Amino acid sequence: MNIQFKKGVLELCVLSMLEREVCYGYELVNEISKSISISEGTIYPLLRRLKSEELVTTYLQESQEGPPRKYYKLTELGRKKEEELKKEWFTFIKNVNNFLKGSEKNE
Amino acid sequence: MNKKEFLGRLSELIKDISEEEKKDILFDYEEHFRIGLEKGRKEEEIAASLGDPKVIAKQSRASCILKKAEKTTSVNNIVRAIFAAVGLGFFNLVIVLGPAIGLIGILVSLFATAFAVTISGVAVLFGTLMGPVFAWNIYIPFTAAVSIPLGIGLTALGLLFIIGVFYLTKFFYKLSIGYLKMNLQIITNRRNTR
Repeated sequence: MNIQFKKGVLELCVLSMLEREVCYGYELVNEISKSISISEGTIYPLLRRLKSEELVTTYLQESQEGPPRKYYKLTELGRKKEEELKKEWFTFIKNVNNFLKGSEKNE
Repeated sequence: MNKKEFLGRLSELIKDISEEEKKDILFDYEEHFRIGLEKGRKEEEIAASLGDPKVIAKQSRASCILKKAEKTTSVNNIVRAIFAAVGLGFFNLVIVLGPAIGLIGILVSLFATAFAVTISGVAVLFGTLMGPVFAWNIYIPFTAAVSIPLGIGLTALGLLFIIGVFYLTKFFYKLSIGYLKMNLQIITNRRNTR
């Protein structure tokens, strides 16, 4: 996929996934890299940024398999941001689709 | 690259940020490796998909240093933040270093002007008062009745000017932090999606 398309969408994907469920870092990276090809390591700096902007909080929780894992949870502010970004995204897509259909007819 | 090499390189690259932040960052990647291994992946495979530690280190460093500059105002901190941002790529060399040099230039020249006004006020005042006493040969084209208030006025104006520039510097500082933050956001999003 084009770099320009992916630019900025990653934040929305992370927020949207956390909106559905609380996740640990590996899960997030794994799920998102199924749909978008990213260099996985850079998702952690993004998560740290979201945390410092208070869009997400983290906590440690024991797992069955071994030592505790760091979980990420959306804050109220994060929820609002997610909604806002999602709305923007759908409007954008709709407009681009309309435009592309329009230009097809003209050809 | 295996797990140990990856974490070692990353740790070496971020050694200049605070111990607490460093631990926090390394914890995330250690966990990533651990869970990946549990899922049956190989260390080398996980390291490869994580990408270059250099890219990760640059991003982590820039945001940590910026956070520090925001918390404690100091010339050293903002200079480090600017250079960390510039280190993120050629794009930033232009978009960050250019304005930074411009701003510093403006501030330096304003400080110099304010200083010059103050000094000239003091000179006029002392010239008028001390000139006759020490028989200095200074030409002041006003009578004492004009030059004394003028000297005091210029000194006061200069001092106010210095205070004004000081506040302006503080304002620029905050503005720069805001700008660097926005810049970092754009860069992180761009880097994430290769």
